[in-house]
Amino acid sequence: MEHLAYAAYGFYLVLILVGGWAAVRCRSLVRALLGLIMTLFGVAGMYFLMAAPFLALMQIMIYVGAVSVLIFFAIMLTRAPGGEAGAEDGGSRPALRTVMALLSGLLPAGILAAVILTKTPQALPLKAEVPLGRLGQILTGPYVLAFELISVVLLAAMAGAVVLGFERRKGA
Amino acid sequence: MSPLLLFHLAALLLLAFGLYGLTSRRTLVGMLISVELMLNGAGLALVASARLTPASDELGQLGALLVMGLAAAEATLVLAMVLVAVKRYGTSDSDRLSELKG
Repeated sequence: MEHLAYAAYGFYLVLILVGGWAAVRCRSLVRALLGLIMTLFGVAGMYFLMAAPFLALMQIMIYVGAVSVLIFFAIMLTRAPGGEAGAEDGGSRPALRTVMALLSGLLPAGILAAVILTKTPQALPLKAEVPLGRLGQILTGPYVLAFELISVVLLAAMAGAVVLGFERRKGA
Repeated sequence: MSPLLLFHLAALLLLAFGLYGLTSRRTLVGMLISVELMLNGAGLALVASARLTPASDELGQLGALLVMGLAAAEATLVLAMVLVAVKRYGTSDSDRLSELKG
Protein backbone atom coordinates (compact mmCIF):
# COMPACT_ATOMS: atom_id res chain seq x y z
CA MET A 1 0.00 0.00 0.00
CA GLU A 2 2.81 2.34 0.90
CA HIS A 3 4.60 1.60 -2.36
CA LEU A 4 1.45 2.53 -4.21
CA ALA A 5 1.40 5.91 -2.47
CA TYR A 6 5.03 6.54 -3.41
CA ALA A 7 4.31 5.53 -7.00
CA ALA A 8 1.37 7.97 -7.10
CA TYR A 9 3.59 10.68 -5.62
CA GLY A 10 6.20 10.01 -8.30
CA PHE A 11 3.57 10.22 -11.04
CA TYR A 12 2.26 13.55 -9.75
CA LEU A 13 5.81 14.83 -9.35
CA VAL A 14 6.51 13.99 -12.98
CA LEU A 15 3.34 15.87 -13.97
CA ILE A 16 4.53 18.90 -11.99
CA LEU A 17 8.06 18.69 -13.40
CA VAL A 18 7.07 18.35 -17.05
CA GLY A 19 4.24 20.87 -16.75
CA GLY A 20 6.36 23.42 -14.92
CA TRP A 21 9.15 23.03 -17.45
CA ALA A 22 6.70 23.62 -20.30
CA ALA A 23 5.12 26.55 -18.45
CA VAL A 24 8.36 28.47 -18.10
CA ARG A 25 10.27 27.41 -21.21
CA CYS A 26 7.82 27.04 -24.09
CA ARG A 27 7.97 29.82 -26.68
CA SER A 28 4.27 29.56 -27.38
CA LEU A 29 2.20 30.87 -24.51
CA VAL A 30 -0.63 28.47 -25.34
CA ARG A 31 1.73 25.56 -24.74
CA ALA A 32 2.94 27.23 -21.57
CA LEU A 33 -0.67 27.43 -20.42
CA LEU A 34 -1.12 23.72 -21.16
CA GLY A 35 1.97 23.08 -19.05
CA LEU A 36 0.45 25.14 -16.24
CA ILE A 37 -2.76 23.09 -16.43
CA MET A 38 -0.73 19.89 -16.24
CA THR A 39 1.03 21.21 -13.14
CA LEU A 40 -2.30 22.16 -11.59
CA PHE A 41 -3.55 18.60 -12.08
CA GLY A 42 -0.36 17.30 -10.49
CA VAL A 43 -0.88 19.49 -7.43
CA ALA A 44 -4.53 18.41 -7.26
CA GLY A 45 -3.33 14.80 -7.26
CA MET A 46 -1.03 15.60 -4.36
CA TYR A 47 -3.99 17.04 -2.44
CA PHE A 48 -5.83 13.76 -3.05
CA LEU A 49 -2.77 11.91 -1.82
CA MET A 50 -2.89 13.93 1.40
CA ALA A 51 -6.55 12.93 1.84
CA ALA A 52 -7.83 16.46 1.22
CA PRO A 53 -10.30 15.73 -1.57
CA PHE A 54 -12.25 18.95 -1.10
CA LEU A 55 -9.15 21.02 -1.79
CA ALA A 56 -8.24 18.87 -4.78
CA LEU A 57 -11.64 19.40 -6.35
CA MET A 58 -11.51 23.12 -5.54
CA GLN A 59 -8.09 23.27 -7.18
CA ILE A 60 -9.48 21.71 -10.34
CA MET A 61 -12.58 23.91 -10.30
CA ILE A 62 -10.96 27.25 -9.50
CA TYR A 63 -7.60 26.93 -11.21
CA VAL A 64 -8.26 24.66 -14.16
CA GLY A 65 -11.81 25.85 -14.62
CA ALA A 66 -11.54 29.58 -14.02
CA VAL A 67 -7.99 30.90 -13.81
CA SER A 68 -6.64 29.09 -16.86
CA VAL A 69 -9.62 30.20 -18.95
CA LEU A 70 -8.85 33.78 -17.86
CA ILE A 71 -5.21 33.35 -18.86
CA PHE A 72 -6.32 31.91 -22.19
CA PHE A 73 -8.42 35.02 -22.76
CA ALA A 74 -5.41 37.17 -21.90
CA ILE A 75 -3.26 35.26 -24.41
CA MET A 76 -5.81 35.55 -27.18
CA LEU A 77 -6.60 39.23 -26.57
CA THR A 78 -2.98 40.36 -26.50
CA ARG A 79 -1.84 38.94 -29.80
CA ALA A 80 0.36 41.24 -31.82
CA PRO A 81 -1.34 42.48 -34.99
CA GLY A 82 -0.59 39.96 -37.70
CA GLY A 83 1.39 37.78 -35.34
CA GLU A 84 0.50 34.36 -34.07
CA ALA A 85 -1.44 34.43 -30.84
CA GLY A 86 0.68 34.03 -27.79
CA ALA A 87 4.06 33.73 -29.42
CA GLU A 88 6.73 35.17 -27.18
CA ASP A 89 9.13 37.46 -28.91
CA GLY A 90 11.36 34.84 -30.47
CA GLY A 91 14.55 36.31 -31.82
CA SER A 92 17.10 36.32 -29.11
CA ARG A 93 16.93 34.70 -25.74
CA PRO A 94 20.24 35.93 -24.45
CA ALA A 95 22.17 33.42 -22.46
CA LEU A 96 22.75 36.00 -19.74
CA ARG A 97 19.01 36.32 -19.18
CA THR A 98 18.65 32.58 -18.77
CA VAL A 99 21.58 32.39 -16.37
CA MET A 100 20.24 35.24 -14.27
CA ALA A 101 16.77 33.69 -14.21
CA LEU A 102 18.25 30.34 -13.22
CA LEU A 103 20.13 32.04 -10.41
CA SER A 104 17.06 33.90 -9.18
CA GLY A 105 15.06 30.70 -9.19
CA LEU A 106 17.59 28.36 -7.66
CA LEU A 107 19.06 30.63 -5.00
CA PRO A 108 15.94 31.14 -2.83
CA ALA A 109 14.77 27.60 -3.46
CA GLY A 110 18.22 26.25 -2.57
CA ILE A 111 18.35 28.21 0.69
CA LEU A 112 14.86 27.04 1.66
CA ALA A 113 15.72 23.47 0.67
CA ALA A 114 18.81 23.58 2.90
CA VAL A 115 16.65 24.79 5.78
CA ILE A 116 13.97 22.13 5.44
CA LEU A 117 16.52 19.38 4.84
CA THR A 118 18.44 20.20 8.01
CA LYS A 119 15.56 21.20 10.26
CA THR A 120 12.82 18.93 9.07
CA PRO A 121 10.20 18.38 11.76
CA GLN A 122 9.02 14.92 12.63
CA ALA A 123 6.13 14.08 10.32
CA LEU A 124 3.07 12.55 11.88
CA PRO A 125 1.15 9.81 10.17
CA LEU A 126 -1.67 11.22 8.09
CA LYS A 127 -4.54 12.50 10.21
CA ALA A 128 -8.10 11.48 9.61
CA GLU A 129 -9.82 13.30 6.81
CA VAL A 130 -11.53 16.53 7.87
CA PRO A 131 -15.22 16.28 7.09
CA LEU A 132 -16.50 19.00 4.81
CA GLY A 133 -19.08 20.10 7.34
CA ARG A 134 -16.36 20.84 9.85
CA LEU A 135 -14.57 23.07 7.35
CA GLY A 136 -17.81 24.92 6.67
CA GLN A 137 -18.51 25.37 10.38
CA ILE A 138 -15.09 26.89 10.98
CA LEU A 139 -15.34 29.13 7.93
CA THR A 140 -18.73 30.50 8.93
CA GLY A 141 -18.07 30.44 12.67
CA PRO A 142 -14.84 31.82 14.13
CA TYR A 143 -13.32 32.76 10.79
CA VAL A 144 -16.33 34.39 9.20
CA LEU A 145 -14.41 37.66 8.84
CA ALA A 146 -11.85 36.08 6.51
CA PHE A 147 -14.69 34.51 4.54
CA GLU A 148 -16.43 37.86 4.12
CA LEU A 149 -13.20 39.66 3.32
CA ILE A 150 -12.31 37.29 0.51
CA SER A 151 -15.72 37.93 -1.04
CA VAL A 152 -15.12 41.67 -0.78
CA VAL A 153 -11.69 41.22 -2.39
CA LEU A 154 -13.21 39.23 -5.24
CA LEU A 155 -15.93 41.84 -5.70
CA ALA A 156 -13.38 44.66 -5.72
CA ALA A 157 -11.20 42.81 -8.23
CA MET A 158 -14.16 42.23 -10.51
CA ALA A 159 -15.33 45.83 -10.25
CA GLY A 160 -11.80 47.02 -10.94
CA ALA A 161 -11.54 44.81 -14.00
CA VAL A 162 -14.85 46.15 -15.32
CA VAL A 163 -13.76 49.75 -14.71
CA LEU A 164 -10.46 49.17 -16.54
CA GLY A 165 -12.32 47.55 -19.41
CA PHE A 166 -14.71 50.49 -19.76
CA GLU A 167 -11.88 52.99 -19.74
CA ARG A 168 -10.23 51.04 -22.49
CA ARG A 169 -13.29 51.22 -24.69
CA LYS A 170 -13.86 54.92 -24.10
CA GLY A 171 -10.29 55.77 -25.12
CA ALA A 172 -10.51 53.80 -28.33
CA MET B 1 12.52 10.78 3.52
CA SER B 2 9.35 11.61 5.34
CA PRO B 3 6.20 12.40 3.34
CA LEU B 4 6.20 15.93 4.77
CA LEU B 5 9.64 16.55 3.31
CA LEU B 6 8.63 15.11 -0.05
CA PHE B 7 5.60 17.40 -0.32
CA HIS B 8 7.62 20.41 0.78
CA LEU B 9 10.26 19.66 -1.85
CA ALA B 10 7.56 19.52 -4.52
CA ALA B 11 6.32 22.92 -3.32
CA LEU B 12 9.88 24.27 -3.48
CA LEU B 13 10.16 22.96 -7.01
CA LEU B 14 7.09 24.98 -7.94
CA LEU B 15 8.60 28.07 -6.31
CA ALA B 16 11.84 27.62 -8.27
CA PHE B 17 9.96 27.18 -11.56
CA GLY B 18 7.85 30.23 -10.83
CA LEU B 19 10.80 32.48 -9.96
CA TYR B 20 12.69 31.29 -13.00
CA GLY B 21 9.72 31.98 -15.27
CA LEU B 22 8.99 35.34 -13.68
CA THR B 23 12.53 36.49 -14.43
CA SER B 24 12.98 34.96 -17.86
CA ARG B 25 9.57 35.53 -19.42
CA ARG B 26 9.23 38.60 -21.61
CA THR B 27 5.47 38.95 -21.92
CA LEU B 28 3.17 39.96 -19.09
CA VAL B 29 0.94 36.93 -19.63
CA GLY B 30 3.93 34.60 -19.33
CA MET B 31 4.80 36.27 -16.03
CA LEU B 32 1.21 35.76 -14.84
CA ILE B 33 1.54 32.04 -15.57
CA SER B 34 4.71 31.93 -13.46
CA VAL B 35 3.01 33.70 -10.57
CA GLU B 36 0.23 31.11 -10.64
CA LEU B 37 2.88 28.39 -10.38
CA MET B 38 4.32 30.01 -7.26
CA LEU B 39 0.91 30.45 -5.65
CA ASN B 40 0.24 26.77 -6.22
CA GLY B 41 3.48 25.92 -4.47
CA ALA B 42 2.42 28.04 -1.51
CA GLY B 43 -0.90 26.23 -1.28
CA LEU B 44 0.75 22.84 -1.50
CA ALA B 45 3.19 23.70 1.30
CA LEU B 46 0.35 25.01 3.48
CA VAL B 47 -1.75 21.89 3.09
CA ALA B 48 1.21 19.56 3.59
CA SER B 49 2.13 21.35 6.82
CA ALA B 50 -1.45 21.23 8.01
CA ARG B 51 -1.99 17.56 7.23
CA LEU B 52 1.31 16.09 8.39
CA THR B 53 2.28 18.10 11.48
CA PRO B 54 0.44 18.76 14.75
CA ALA B 55 -0.72 22.10 13.34
CA SER B 56 -4.42 22.75 12.96
CA ASP B 57 -5.71 20.78 10.02
CA GLU B 58 -8.77 22.87 9.25
CA LEU B 59 -6.93 26.19 9.33
CA GLY B 60 -4.32 24.99 6.87
CA GLN B 61 -6.92 23.78 4.40
CA LEU B 62 -8.94 26.98 4.71
CA GLY B 63 -5.76 29.00 4.24
CA ALA B 64 -5.05 27.15 1.01
CA LEU B 65 -8.63 27.85 -0.06
CA LEU B 66 -8.12 31.57 0.58
CA VAL B 67 -4.91 31.44 -1.46
CA MET B 68 -6.93 30.02 -4.34
CA GLY B 69 -9.51 32.79 -4.01
CA LEU B 70 -6.81 35.45 -3.99
CA ALA B 71 -5.21 33.87 -7.04
CA ALA B 72 -8.51 34.06 -8.89
CA ALA B 73 -8.95 37.73 -7.95
CA GLU B 74 -5.37 38.46 -8.95
CA ALA B 75 -5.78 36.76 -12.33
CA THR B 76 -8.91 38.83 -13.03
CA LEU B 77 -7.17 42.09 -12.25
CA VAL B 78 -4.00 41.20 -14.13
CA LEU B 79 -6.07 40.28 -17.19
CA ALA B 80 -7.68 43.74 -17.16
CA MET B 81 -4.34 45.48 -16.61
CA VAL B 82 -2.65 43.55 -19.42
CA LEU B 83 -5.49 44.47 -21.75
CA VAL B 84 -5.10 48.16 -20.87
CA ALA B 85 -1.33 47.98 -21.37
CA VAL B 86 -1.72 46.28 -24.75
CA LYS B 87 -4.33 48.83 -25.82
CA ARG B 88 -2.14 51.73 -24.81
CA TYR B 89 1.29 50.56 -25.96
CA GLY B 90 0.50 47.88 -28.51
CA THR B 91 2.65 45.28 -26.79
CA SER B 92 2.76 43.24 -23.63
CA ASP B 93 6.52 42.83 -23.75
CA SER B 94 7.83 43.80 -20.34
CA ASP B 95 11.12 45.03 -21.81
CA ARG B 96 9.32 47.59 -23.92
CA LEU B 97 6.99 48.70 -21.13
CA SER B 98 9.83 50.10 -19.05
CA GLU B 99 9.30 53.82 -19.61
CA LEU B 100 7.39 56.13 -17.32
CA LYS B 101 5.66 59.06 -18.91
CA GLY B 102 5.25 62.28 -16.93
